[in-house]
Amino acid sequence: MEQDSVDSGAQIDPLSNPFASLDSLSPDLSSLNDLAMRGAWRSILEKVSRSRSLDLLKQPHHHLTYLSFNVLALSKLRRFADANSELESLQDLDGSDYRYETYPKVYPGRSGSMVPFSLRWIHCIIPIKLGRRNEGLDRLYKLLDLVREKLEERKSNSREESLREWKRRELLVINTIIGDHLIHKEFSVCLDLIRNLLSGDCLGLDAFLLSELGYIQLQIGDLDGAKGSFSQVEGIADKEKSIKLMNLVSRNKALIYLVGKDYVSAVREYEECMERDHTDAVAINNKAICLMYLRDLSDSIKVLENSLERVPTVTLNETLVVNLCSMYELAYVNHAEIKKTLSNWIARVAPDDFDSSCTRI
Amino acid sequence: MSSSQASHSLAFRVMRLCRPTLHVDTPILVDPSDLLVGEDIYDDPVAASHLPRLMGGLKVKPSGDAADLSYRNRFLLNDSTDSMGLSGLLLLPQAFGAIYLGETFCSYVSINNSSNFEVRDIIIKAEIQTERQRILLLDTSKSAVESIRAGGRYDFIVEHDVKELGAHTLVCTALYDDGDGERKYLPQFFKFNVANPLSVRTKVRVVKDTTFLEVCIENHTKSNLYMDQVEFEPAQNCSATKLNADEYHSEKTSTTRETFTPPVLIRSGGGIQNYLYQLKSSSRASDQIKVEGNVLGKLQLTWRTNLGEPGRLQTQQILGAAIVRKEIDLQVVELPTTIILGRSFSVHIELLNLTERELGPFEVSLSPDDLPGERAIMTNGLQKMVLPKVEAFGSRDFHLNLVATKLGVQKITGIRVYECNEGKTYNPLPDMEVFVDLE
Repeated sequence: MEQDSVDSGAQIDPLSNPFASLDSLSPDLSSLNDLAMRGAWRSILEKVSRSRSLDLLKQPHHHLTYLSFNVLALSKLRRFADANSELESLQDLDGSDYRYETYPKVYPGRSGSMVPFSLRWIHCIIPIKLGRRNEGLDRLYKLLDLVREKLEERKSNSREESLREWKRRELLVINTIIGDHLIHKEFSVCLDLIRNLLSGDCLGLDAFLLSELGYIQLQIGDLDGAKGSFSQVEGIADKEKSIKLMNLVSRNKALIYLVGKDYVSAVREYEECMERDHTDAVAINNKAICLMYLRDLSDSIKVLENSLERVPTVTLNETLVVNLCSMYELAYVNHAEIKKTLSNWIARVAPDDFDSSCTRI
Repeated sequence: MSSSQASHSLAFRVMRLCRPTLHVDTPILVDPSDLLVGEDIYDDPVAASHLPRLMGGLKVKPSGDAADLSYRNRFLLNDSTDSMGLSGLLLLPQAFGAIYLGETFCSYVSINNSSNFEVRDIIIKAEIQTERQRILLLDTSKSAVESIRAGGRYDFIVEHDVKELGAHTLVCTALYDDGDGERKYLPQFFKFNVANPLSVRTKVRVVKDTTFLEVCIENHTKSNLYMDQVEFEPAQNCSATKLNADEYHSEKTSTTRETFTPPVLIRSGGGIQNYLYQLKSSSRASDQIKVEGNVLGKLQLTWRTNLGEPGRLQTQQILGAAIVRKEIDLQVVELPTTIILGRSFSVHIELLNLTERELGPFEVSLSPDDLPGERAIMTNGLQKMVLPKVEAFGSRDFHLNLVATKLGVQKITGIRVYECNEGKTYNPLPDMEVFVDLE
């Protein structure tokens, strides 16, 4: 891919447009993306290795893109130590090695960092996954600072697209931070961070964020707080009637019913969700749970088994499988056999990153 | 009836059914713009005009009925909140966990027939046994389960409010006719231990005429406790007001006000929370609490943990400090505003008999000085003033003549009342400060 002098903002020849397709961004990028969509992470590792050895990566940013896919694949396969080594092989991410202006012949007229942002994000996640939580959390907060600096710079330049991307990244980092605090049951920090997001102008009242707030309040036991949050979600959904939002409202209602031990009403809400969207995996899983509490172990197993058969790419997730295996362990004295059947089926159908230890065989 | 271990067609399977949990785990999901291109590429105006379309196209899901055969949900972010990892997926309880006094024990019980034959006429019983008692939870003796087919199941759910500490056993028994027509008896035992979730420490303080009750609650459980209700129920003749520190959320905006009030959440494994109550006697006598046996009342505690799992406890009766009932009291009616050095002045005092019997006669004096040097304020005139008897709940006025021998701020101290009949001495008056001036 040559980059002859390109007039910024001028019309560019569609045949040599560097942004026409994925493959014009980096060699074989569409293939890598496709493999990732299918969860074929082991194939991605092979492809990266081959491309590197065949010296197919000609431009600086190609190496970074391929490295990002490599690190992502290793992380998805839970090989965090290997992912870490790969990251450590990099120079300082903020150094000149990874800036466009360092290579003016390759990227004429372009400046800035060519580091894919997910690389920075994974750099924070890996220590957490390796058990060094404080280090990871520190990195996340530092990344948030970096993102906010970038936002400040761009606010004055009013580069709209760029601004939008960095705002999205700010949300991504804050949400990751909240999630980590949540895992460690540091609830008051979570509530404060969400409060900031809801009252700030970067997001305002977002139905999904309000629902998350409600879930946290339910986890704490603050039922009145959760009801309040969910009713605000309903207010937003009333104005914008999409299936996504209607299902969100129903699932929130179902949780309140469940907390009040009215499992019949909860099941009804989840069934409405499934009718509107048969791929609503949360509704399917949770309906099965409610059937358990209604003493209907047989039907709860059927709901989960059916969903795995009909829409595996949506419902095959570790939590659902753990639930199904718990049900098997209760329903069958000799549950090893039926779990083996399930496990064999998963091995044929599941993506590379599926954690099969969830079957507890 | 045989109950040999090896040859049972039936077996009990048990799963504790406390509330499910909302699964949370940081997912590794990315946005295409964060992976396929450099982070600053959107600063390039050419890129900025072309990339959004390209990236957007990658995020579009196949519509409606078209089967999506990709695992895109395990790769791409849908909403920004996806990265929080709290999807709303529920997870069944994965272990028995800890169980505490005041909670409800709930369990799914399934009787499986793993044999190749039908079993018939099954009488099922489930009970909780503790050191002190047996509580029957289920008994199908009146209407036996007709049959369980080969490979079939009979399920039930039991619930029990846990009111005792220590070892508990869930005893499940089945009496049935097996495939051979033999009547068999299967007992199965599931043990668990009930621990104390909280300790409550109280302190009673009397400040002037008001009684305060300090309560400290310590959380011994493995979860954070959301305190729904911490209410003090006072005994008769008492009223209690909870005193709160100033609320700090005055800076909240109107949007967030309805969203939440700060929850009272006591941290797991040793977190504490303090409460303060002001107690008042509702009888018309003095503010001193005078209650039979000095019982102040008890505390009702209600809390919630994960997904509203409730618990409730009541403390024992809380006793106040040993309060000595006041029998007599002295009240200063009038004290002169200016006191001149060396010049006699008069203090007007009222003596109150707070008992229901006649007391007296009395001798009022200043107690002998145990400090070296001269006392600053002394009696002028007779060292002892005699007062006649005072009837029950009655009072008597008198004037005490004093003189000041030192200048400046001085204390009138040590006014003592001696009850001649019962031989008791009282020092009911606290020190009074006065200013002694020159001419």
